[in-house]
Amino acid sequence: MKNFNFLFAAWMVVWAVFFVYEFSIASRLARLQEEIERLKQQLRER
Amino acid sequence: MSTTRSAAILLAKELRLEFRTRELLTGTVIFVLVVIVLFSFAFDPTAADSRRYGPGLLWIAFLFAGSLMLHPSFAREQANQTLDALRMAPISAFAILLGKMLANFIFLAIAEIVLVPVFAVLYNVPLTGVAGRLALVLGLGTLGLVITGTVFSAVSAHARMRELLLPLLLLPILAPLLIAAVEATASLFAEQPALDRTWLTFLGGFDIVFLTASWLLCDFLLEE
Amino acid sequence: MKRLGITVAAAALIFFAGYAALFIAPDESTMHAIQRVFYVHLPLWMVMYSALTVAFIANIAWLATRQIKWDWLGVSAVEVGVVACTGGLATGVLWGKPAWGIWWTWDARLTTAFLLWLLYIAYLLLRGLLEDPERRATLSAIFGIFAFLDAPLVYASNRLWRTQHPAPVIFGGDNSGLNPTMGKVLVICILAMLPVMILLLVDRYRLERMRHEVEELRLAVEARAADSNPAVTRSTA
Repeated sequence: MKNFNFLFAAWMVVWAVFFVYEFSIASRLARLQEEIERLKQQLRER
Repeated sequence: MSTTRSAAILLAKELRLEFRTRELLTGTVIFVLVVIVLFSFAFDPTAADSRRYGPGLLWIAFLFAGSLMLHPSFAREQANQTLDALRMAPISAFAILLGKMLANFIFLAIAEIVLVPVFAVLYNVPLTGVAGRLALVLGLGTLGLVITGTVFSAVSAHARMRELLLPLLLLPILAPLLIAAVEATASLFAEQPALDRTWLTFLGGFDIVFLTASWLLCDFLLEE
Repeated sequence: MKRLGITVAAAALIFFAGYAALFIAPDESTMHAIQRVFYVHLPLWMVMYSALTVAFIANIAWLATRQIKWDWLGVSAVEVGVVACTGGLATGVLWGKPAWGIWWTWDARLTTAFLLWLLYIAYLLLRGLLEDPERRATLSAIFGIFAFLDAPLVYASNRLWRTQHPAPVIFGGDNSGLNPTMGKVLVICILAMLPVMILLLVDRYRLERMRHEVEELRLAVEARAADSNPAVTRSTA
């Protein structure tokens, strides 16, 4: 296939953009979930 | 009190405030002059080139100057929280906004009246015969700039990095205005000056759209 | 459980769409392989426009109802829109170079896309610089509404301008008379991208909602601490 390298680059870029974004959301979600548990625990203790 | 009357009173206040020191006006005029001179280093201003690039340079200079000049519009009100006082007065939010828009329009208009002849002299652009129509184009273009700029001055007044934020918000929104104003001005600088009706209507349309949006959203814009 | 189901369905659709785009779609006569980027390029733009429309509606809904969930939806939709726009611009550039020999041209569509990208990044920047949540929601909603109203004006002005200063015609050829197989593959690819975008939107919305929850919990903890020990000075959150 002609011009395949550009097609591959485009495909990789799209996936990279999606994955970076989803990964950043997922990691922040995890951290917030931890924070919520910690705060809920604090409220239970007092 | 009716909106027009309160807007007029506020306009008078803004004008009185500015003409006390005239620092904003002087600063704006000098800034545009500097930009105009700098542009002359970017290309060789022969008469033909000036006709081609002149309108673009002129409008970019006004846009930059405008977005710097519009910043104090609402930023000034923060020092002594005078905006709260305005809000408590029996006037509509739109009157406050309108008063400021008109004041900013007058300031920019004064700067333009000074600068356009200077530009015409420095770049050998003939203005005879087109002055009236040029004033119309400048008026409509400046109006659009001032309408959106005043609203965004209110938006950015509460944010950090206000001075940088205002141009950042304003300039992309004004892209269509820039195109229309430049093309309309270019049609007047051409060999056979003929005002381009399409672009003029576009400018008018831009002004109407954003003035209406400002009117609809003004209460939210100025709320506590 | 539902989320797992959607993720699996999305993965399956993506696999099928990818296969279709690479092997089922016919080869295009002049551009050959690189033309297949169209199957991801066009869906990205569709996603961007839908996301920005959702954001516009959310902005209006926040101003009208004052329910904070609309602000959460607004920022999520704008972020997804910006992500899609980034993808669209990147694939466009990577398509342009091999197909037409130039990385970029200032035609109406490309310029509008680039300007929308800048506008909505400005929106996100504005939010980052405003701290009070209610004020942030209101002011960014106002800017979002202005940006959305500006979009058709940007396109119209560039289109008008370009008819006066013609640029190389780029997109004229493609969509006129689309090969039916290409059309079917395109539909599959759009259907595959939809769940991906909805997942991103939902996750981002959950993130905003959780941030809000964390803030509320923090305030509750502080309130509890102040109650039990009145002498304690409250630290600002």
